[in-house]
This record gives sequence, C-alpha cells and structure tokens, in this order.
Amino acid sequence: MTSRSNRLTSVLSDNRVGLLLLIIVLVVLIGSLKPMFFSPAFVIGPMLTSIAIFTVVGLAQMVVLSVGQMNLAVGGMAAIGAMGSAIVFQAFDVPLIVGIAVGLVVGGAVGALCGVLIAYAGVNSFVVTLAMSFALLGLVPAVYSWVSTGNAITVQTPGLAELGRSKLSDLCIGDTCGPDGVPLILFVAVAAMIVIGLLFSKARIGREILLTGSSDRAALLSAIPVPRRIITVHTLSGMLAALAGFMLGASTGSFTPGIGQEFMLQSFLGPILGGTLLAGGYVSVIGTFLGITITVVIRQGLLLFGVGIEGLNILLGTILLIALSADRIRSVAGARSRLRASRQQSPAKSKEEAVVS
Amino acid sequence: MSARLARLARDQNTILAAVIVAGVIVLTISSSGGFLSPISIETFFQFLAIPIVIGLAQMAALAVNQMNLAVGAIGGFAACSAAVLIADFGVPPWLGGIIAILIGLAAGVLNGLIVVLTQINGFIVTLATMTILSGAQYAIVGTRTITSANWPEIAAIGTARPLGIPLIFWIAVGIAILLSVAYRQTLFARNMLASGGNPLAATLSGISNNRSLVTAHGLSGLLCGVAAFLVLASLPGANKSIGEDWLLSSFAAPIIGGVSLTGGTVAVLGTVLAATIVRLVDSARAQFQLEPSWVNFVIGAVVLGTVALDRVRTRRPATRQRSRRPPPDAPPTAAARAIDPGAPA
Amino acid sequence: MTDTAYALEVRGITKTFPGVRALDEVNLRLKPGEVHALLGENGAGKSTLIKIITGIQPQDSGELIVNGEARSFRSAHEATRAGIGVVHQERNVITDFTVAENIVLGNTPVKGGRVQWREVREGAKRVLDLLDFPIDPATPTSLLSPAQTQLVEIARGLYTDSAVLLLDEPTASISETESKLLFDVVHRLSAQGRAILFVSHKLEEVFAHCDTVTVFRDGRSVAESEPLSNYSKDTIVDLLVGRTLAKLEVPDRSPSERGTPALELRDVSTFSGHRDVSFAVHPGQIVGIYGLVGAGRSELAKAILGLDRITEGEVLVNGSAAQIRSVGDALGRYGIGYVTEDRKAEGLFLDQTVARNLTVTVLKRLSNAFGFVRERAARATADEYIASLDVKVSNRDQLVGQLSGGNQQKVSLGKWLAANTDILIIDEPTVGIDVRTKGAFYQLIWALAEQGKAVLVISSDLAEMVTLVDRIVVMQDFEVTGSVLNSHEYDEMSKSVIRLIHEERIDVVEG
Ligand SMILES: Nc1ncnc2c1ncn2[C@@H]1O[C@H](COP(=O)(O)OP(=O)(O)OP(=O)(O)O)[C@@H](O)[C@H]1O
Ligand SMILES: [Mg+2]
Repeated sequence: MTSRSNRLTSVLSDNRVGLLLLIIVLVVLIGSLKPMFFSPAFVIGPMLTSIAIFTVVGLAQMVVLSVGQMNLAVGGMAAIGAMGSAIVFQAFDVPLIVGIAVGLVVGGAVGALCGVLIAYAGVNSFVVTLAMSFALLGLVPAVYSWVSTGNAITVQTPGLAELGRSKLSDLCIGDTCGPDGVPLILFVAVAAMIVIGLLFSKARIGREILLTGSSDRAALLSAIPVPRRIITVHTLSGMLAALAGFMLGASTGSFTPGIGQEFMLQSFLGPILGGTLLAGGYVSVIGTFLGITITVVIRQGLLLFGVGIEGLNILLGTILLIALSADRIRSVAGARSRLRASRQQSPAKSKEEAVVS
Repeated sequence: MSARLARLARDQNTILAAVIVAGVIVLTISSSGGFLSPISIETFFQFLAIPIVIGLAQMAALAVNQMNLAVGAIGGFAACSAAVLIADFGVPPWLGGIIAILIGLAAGVLNGLIVVLTQINGFIVTLATMTILSGAQYAIVGTRTITSANWPEIAAIGTARPLGIPLIFWIAVGIAILLSVAYRQTLFARNMLASGGNPLAATLSGISNNRSLVTAHGLSGLLCGVAAFLVLASLPGANKSIGEDWLLSSFAAPIIGGVSLTGGTVAVLGTVLAATIVRLVDSARAQFQLEPSWVNFVIGAVVLGTVALDRVRTRRPATRQRSRRPPPDAPPTAAARAIDPGAPA
Repeated sequence: MTDTAYALEVRGITKTFPGVRALDEVNLRLKPGEVHALLGENGAGKSTLIKIITGIQPQDSGELIVNGEARSFRSAHEATRAGIGVVHQERNVITDFTVAENIVLGNTPVKGGRVQWREVREGAKRVLDLLDFPIDPATPTSLLSPAQTQLVEIARGLYTDSAVLLLDEPTASISETESKLLFDVVHRLSAQGRAILFVSHKLEEVFAHCDTVTVFRDGRSVAESEPLSNYSKDTIVDLLVGRTLAKLEVPDRSPSERGTPALELRDVSTFSGHRDVSFAVHPGQIVGIYGLVGAGRSELAKAILGLDRITEGEVLVNGSAAQIRSVGDALGRYGIGYVTEDRKAEGLFLDQTVARNLTVTVLKRLSNAFGFVRERAARATADEYIASLDVKVSNRDQLVGQLSGGNQQKVSLGKWLAANTDILIIDEPTVGIDVRTKGAFYQLIWALAEQGKAVLVISSDLAEMVTLVDRIVVMQDFEVTGSVLNSHEYDEMSKSVIRLIHEERIDVVEG
C-alpha cells in the first residue's frame, strides 16, 4: 500500500509527467482555437522536423551536462560537421552514409579537441567551448567561401532529399502508406535517443560518466578514468551536434555557414526543462525530448496566432518561466520535507532536483 | 626576493598587465605611433567603459555561483525604455537616465526573486528573462534609432574629457573601485561570497542564501542599468541592437580575469584588465582591417592557447601547495607538528 | 513559567524522513555547568536532534525549551542569537575564505555594515589560541587537511561564547593531543556555567570528561539525562546496542614476514616531501602506519596510488616494480584499493544511490561483453555489502547523502571491499563509527588478512592500532622513524611508539 502510494507520488512529482501534461494541454488548446494547427503538411510535419533536429541538439548538450560541464560550441560543431559532409558529397560524390560518417567524425574530432583541453589542461569547459565557438565562427564561413561560390553548398546526393524531406506517407507497402504528418527524419532523432538512452541507463560507460558528474574527485579515487570520460562526452557531443547540423542541411537541401546559429539556446532549454541537472550526475533523454517539444509547440502556436517575432520572444520566455515555476512549485509542495532535508545534506549546489526526481 | 618575483609572475593580474603592455607596444609599432595619438587613445577608453561595467555585472552573478545571461537584454531594454520615455513622453533626460539605472536594478532583483521563489536554476531564469526583455526591447523601439540629440545633458557626459580621458571611462573605473572596496569591506558582500562558495556552510552559519541570491542578481542588474546609462551617454543613439553582443564579452572579462565559475570569488582588477585586453583585440581588428571571420578564429585560438598554457604553467606550483616543511616561525610546541606544515604562516 | 534550572530542554521531539523515523519522542535536559554526553549507534538520530535544536531542520512534533521559554528557531542565526553554539558533524567551511573569516562566519564583527577585519583576526586568534592551534588566521582554508579543518570548525563553535554548546563528534578526526586541548576548553566553559552537549563514539573520552548521559537507540531515548556514574563502559555499550554485546575477540595472529611482500616501498621519496620511506606488507599481514596529524601518511598513500610523483625509490607489488599512474592503474593492474579518510570529498557520490556507490569499483566485473551493466548482479552486490556491513538504509536506492555519518563511512569502506583487491589501504577506517560496528570492522579486516590479503591501515588512534594490526610503522614529518611488531599490550606498545616519535610528543600517547 505505502509502496504503491509512494510510487504514485513519485510518478506525479516526476517533472516529465508534468511536461507531458503541459504539452497535451497546449496542443489541445492551440488546436481547438486554430484547427490549422493539426494540418499535417503545413504544421505538424515541419514541427516534427524541428523537434527531431532540436532534440538531437539537446542531446548534444545533455551529454556534456551529465559531467557538469557545458558545450557552448554546439552550433559551431553542427556547422563544421555539416560542412564536412557537404564537402565530401560535393567533391567526391560519396554515398549518403559515407557523407554522414565524415560529418560525425569531423564534429567528433572538434569535440574531442575540446575534451582534451578540458581534461588534460584543466581549463574550464565554459571557456574552452566559448573560445572554440569563436574559432568555428571564423573558420566555417572562411572555408565555405573558399570551396564554394555563394557561401552555400547544394547537395544532390541520392537519398539525401528522401531522408531530409520525405514523410511516412511517401513510404508505402502495397497500398498502405504511413501517416502524412510524420517526417522520416524524426526516426534519426529517435535512433539517437535510443543510443544515448541506452548509454546512460544501461552501459558501464554511461554510469561512469554520471558518477564523474556527481563528484569528479570521488570518481578519480574510485578508479574511474575521469579524463577519458570527459573526452568521451565532448566527442559524443560533437558527433551529436554534427548529426543535428546534417539533419538541418538535409531538411533544407542546402548546407550553409548559418547552420547551427540558433542551436545554443535550444540545446540548453531542452535538457534543463526535462530535468537534467546543470551540476551533473543526472540526465533525462525523454525529458530532453519533451522539453524540446514544448518549446517548439509554443513557438509554432504563437506563430499561428500571428504573433510577431518580438512578441514571440516575450511570450515564449514568459510561458517557459510560468511552466517551469508551476512545475517546480508543485513538486516542491509535494516533497517539501524531503527537499528541506536534502538541502541540508546535499553537498553540491543546486542539486535539490536529485531528491525530488 | 626571487620568491616574491616568482609569486608576482604567477599572479594572474601581472600576466594580464603584461599582455596589455605587449599589445599596446605591438599596436603602437604597427601603427607607427598612431595608436598613441590623443584621438586614438580617447576612442580606446571611450569604448572600454561599457565592457568593464558589463564584465563586473557578470562577475557579481558568478560570485554567487549564478550566471546572468540577461546582461545584454537588461541593458538594451533599459537604454531603449529610457530613450523612448525621453523622446516620446517628454520625460526629462536626467530622470530618464536614472530610470534606465532603476530598470536595470528592478530586472536584476526580479531575476533573483524568481530564482529564489521557484528554485529554478539561475541559468534558465536569466535565459528566459533574456528572451523576454530582448523581445520587449524590440517591441518598444521597433526598427528606429532614437538619437542622442534627445538627451543632450546626458550626451554631454559622453563627450567630457577630464585629463584627456573620457569621463565615462572614469565612471567605470570609479565603479570598479567602489565594488572592489565593497567586496572586501562590507558584510553584505562577504555574505554573498559565502553563499557562493559553500551554500551549506553559509546556511549552517545562519547566512541567508536567498538574500545573497537576490542581492547578487540585483547588483548585476544594477550594473547593467549603469551600462545602459553609459550607452545613452556615449553612443549616437539607442536602437534594438543595443546589448545584442554583450553576452560573450561579459563572460570573457571575469573569466579571463580569474573569477571562478563555481562561485565564492571575485576579481575586480582582473576583470577590468581582461576587458582591456578584449578591447585591444578589437582595436587590432579595426587597425589591420581584418576580415571579421578570421579575426574570430584568431581570438578563439589565442584565448584557448593562452588559457591552456596558463594552466600548464600554474599546475606545478599548485601541487606543491602542501609541501612538507613547517613554517619557520611556527612555535615549536607539541601541536605545531599537528598542523599542516605546508600552510603558509 | 517552566523550570529554568535547565539551559536547554528537549521534550518529546519526533522527526520522520521518508522511510525512517529518525527521532521518536525523545527527551533531553541540559543543565548549566554540565558536560552531557549524547550517545547512540550510527543512525540513532543524534545529529538530527542537533540540527533540529539549531533550527536547520524543523521537527514534526515536540518542543524545544531554552532558558524556560518554548522556542523554535527558523535559522542557524536565530539559534546563535539565543546563545546556542554548535559544531556540526560534517565539516563545512568556505574554502575561498581564510581561517579567520570561517571562524567568525555568521557572526562577523561589523560596524556600519563594514567588516572589522582587525577584530575578525583577533577574535579568530583568540579561539585558535584556546585550542593551541598555531595556524595563521590568514591561511586560506583550501590548504588545510581534514583534521585541521575540523579544528577550524571547533574554533567556530567556540567563537560565539554561547551559554549552550552542542558538539557533534568533534573529536572523530583529530588526534588525542588536539582532543585533550578541546576538553580543557570544555571544562573551562562548564566551570563558567555553560552547558555542553557532547556527541562521541569514543567511550573513553566520554567517561573521562562527561557528567551526564542520554542514550538514543533507533530514534528513542533509552536513557534520559542520567548521571554517567550510574553506568560502566560495559553497561553503556549494552544500552547502546540493545543487548549484551559479546566482547571483541582479538584473534591470535602472527603472520609470517618471510617471502615476497605483497606491497613494498623501497627508499621512496616524493614530490610532496617524503624521504626514503621503506616498509613492506606481506600477504595475510595487517600493517598500521601510525603518526600524528600532518606526518604525511595519507599523502604517502596517495603517492602509492600515483596521485603524487615519486621522485626516487620504487614501489614493488608482489616483488616487481610497479608503475602506478592512477587509481585505475592501482586497481586494474596491481589490485590495490584505497579507502580515503575524507569520505565526503573523496569517497562518496553523495547525490547518488547507495547501490551505485557500492558498485562503482566493480562496474567492469558487473558488465557483460557489450559493456552493459548487469543490473541484477549489481543489485545483488549492493545488497550483499549493505547486509554484511549492516548499513542502515531504507532501501538500496536511498541517496548516500541522506545517510548518517557513520553509515556513510560504511559505504565508503564497502565499495572497496566489493573490489576484493589483494592489497587494501584503509585510511582512518573507523572515523565516526559506533562501538559495535567498529568491532565488526575489525573482524572484517582480520578476515581479509586470513584470506591472504595484505592490509595497510592508517590511523591516528593508537588503541585501534594496538588492537587491529600486526606491525606498527611510525611516521613522523614525512619520514618513517621505525617500526615495531605489535604485542597487543597497550602500555608496552605505546612506550615503543613513543621512543620512535619525537621526545616532546610523550604526552600524546599517554593522554
Ligand atoms: N535528509 C535525510 N533524508 C532521509 N533520511 C535522513 C536524512 N537525514 C538523516 N536521515 C536518517 O535519519 C537517521 C538518523 O540520522 P542521524 O544523522 O541523526 O544519525 P546519527 O545518530 O547522527 O548517526 P552517526 O553516529 O552515524 O552520525 C538515519 O537513519 C538517517 O539515514
Ligand atoms: Mg551524526
């Protein structure tokens, strides 16, 4: 009995449930006011494409947050990864999969470089990735203007357009075709979520990463290869960022230095709305997905109401704050005693969430 | 003597100062002295004032282990609000200037209150307020630029040049001195640092972390408001792009200046020096007319390189902190042996 | 008006955490001028009561009466103002501040909002002198060792000059010399009419220095403010445990010192200053390194683990020279484990579950060929050590940060027992551990040695050394000054050890 009611409270105080409810409420609300919202081709499809891309971006940030660090260069890594793919497509006419692989390697290499600087030189991740974002901000446009005319590469590799822009309705087995509103690219994001989810929930490496995030000193003295794990997460972050950059390029068909420009804020919003701790030691893949979804839904809804770009920002920010506060106040009220107790015990800063979740 | 020299050489501020001197020499030589002309010096300091103040604004937040992503949005919103009030609603310019500062303070306090009341991480809160305020800024001014002809009294501050150096730079320096004294001398600032350094220890000593958070965000906002005032004083006008590019430089100054991202420390002088270095790089860009993208690349690479080198260099002494010899002047009592012998006397 | 004969009275206080009732209607009366011992096993609720009294946690029910008035404090500050000073069990200093500023923290002398730095320094100096702790108040706290930090915490409790002083295991991690100085201060304060509540697991000190006693067992008071003279050490132990505790059987051990040592140091000098350190630990043998705080013992352990540079000499594992560059190397390639003395900073992941903490060193063994953790095996391992160390948890997924201090120490040891290494270095194994568990720890360590493992124990507690180890290596000032076989006779051993330590230290060992 107690265990069941305990489980119930723990489900209700799980902020992912709150997010899910909020998303449902928003979708119903927006949809009932603007039926247009449910248009598969014009709204749902593009929205799911955005969700897919930003979820991968969110994961790129989440893996670094898991050790209590940050990657301010997600946008730059996305740009350079996508550029890598585009260049090999253009210059060597390689098959799709090779192009993607090259992009991931390029992004991963840049991430690994950050990781090495952080782990072995001991420089703060914030500084390293900030500087790296500057460097990439300079490097990427320079290379584009060097290899292409007009600062963009349009890629016609077979399969790219299908991956980037087709929907399930284009895939038919006999007479049954998939639903119209679901873009194929969503499955790339789902695959990334599964891989990262498995890593953190089941794999030893993921466990070691989380423990490093929880206390790197204790990790070092518990025989966890801390520097290697820091490099691992940054490499992974670079690869995921590159994947997101590639997805964005594939969905528009053209690869430009502008890829990744709006990634940074989203990359933080998703994981943190979803419950990932900035301090490290706890992540949530589903939460990241839900967090991204909610921001995209709000943005899309506001656009449908014809809110201009300035109003959009004001409302988006306000809704986010209210949503987050409501969520937090609810879970705080539900677990006030636990929270209070934990605040006395919890060593690290701002880790109250660990107890609440 | 040589030990003192060594310590001096290890000191962050000394390095920063050396970099500044080297930069000035390079720029002077490459401009064949033009860099040291009165006009050029004036411009240099004119555009240094705001980076110093916003760097200090970020430092105030970092000191309590928070970040203020809304520095630019607060400053931009405050400046534009004041500009609109003065130009469109006939508010006296002086009052408008004060309002800009107060708006900054209010926005900062609001950030702090939201952080405290909702327990949401300050990073997220200020991210949200940044979105809101930059939207509001655009909503207020739209695409127009309100020229400083509307507030000649304030603009006069921007053109004043006591001792040949812009007044607004002196203002920034004055603020830095004030802050440096405050962080050393006042209890409220010490309590902020205590909360930032170890919130649990602060709680156990009866220090209110909530108050520290609100104060620190308030201070950060106040400084953004001051920066907005300096914008009104020194720029030809206010428009929607004010504050857009403040965020990165606001972090660069305190971090290069030696402020820890984990809270508990401040480095006012370091922040000022680091802001000066960033300004030097900017001058270099203008002087060599470099293509912006390559300049970005170079800045990024140089920062990475210097910070990494700095770490490699300081690492060895850091491990030696706990060396074994007892301090020579420690009394030879029984308990003398019990203390950590490496602790400097 | 209630009885004002008491400086502090606790009436029927109850406190529950999810899954545990930490305090169940406990009572306690503290008279001015008395030194009152608060005893109880790990997790009995002692620290919880102290946190409730000082306004850090609220009680569920019950009353707190200070000087005859019912009070309830909402912050530590209010408690201080009401004349209640406290030294908490866990060390919590602000490492960015100096020793002096940490000591005055929360009570910083100010005039017109400005900190009076001279008063800060002088006030700090005053309490440091009381404790005969010769450290410059301007020293940054980040440079202090755990024991020194503990002294700073104690100084902080003394600074406010309170009518009631609550001391939560202040002597757990400091040596006898410092403890003795602390007790001098305690007696001086009680002679001035201050009331002192003293929590400790060291019954010798309790019987030497306390007047009255309250005993908690599982959150209930089983003895309430009684004269300590009503009890003997044995009856107190029975009361603590709730049954008659069998006397600790010290096994008759004389392991061979012939053959290849499992771990040997030959003329090791290190970057942090050790000179020509040599000793050996044979399989099946327990060697203790005894020395005073600051003798360089933990630093030596860290050097063995590759966390400090060895400048000269060599470390041999099973007879061949070892190149250890990290704890990972030590564990993976040479089978060396290390239980740290600073569980909070170096030993535990406080915001992770007990199960994750207990399995951290064996993740590799608990993973399958694809690198996935075998959850069932992991759970089984966690449960095994929770049971064998008797860790008091509500379940294996409780966060370690929520455990009582002693139970945290068990987890910190347990994670290395799980690694099952051939060589185990244990730094201060029984800090904050209750009497019963201490015995269990000793038996566990003896059992390890019986299995042929080499155990190196670092401890500042000579009585512990004499009970536990086979050979005592004495370190002083980063050098080994000698070693003796343990005869298990305290007096004889203390004399031998004294001979190996500096003359002026004689008082320590006798104290
Ligand atoms: N914040 C918390 N959340 C959940 N349980 C807690 C919390 N704090 C304490 N407890 C539980 O309350 C009980 C009493 O803990 P307490 O720290 O008071 O023990 P103690 O008597 O001080 O033990 P020790 O001698 O080991 O320090 C323990 O079972 C502990 O796990
Ligand atoms: Mg305790």
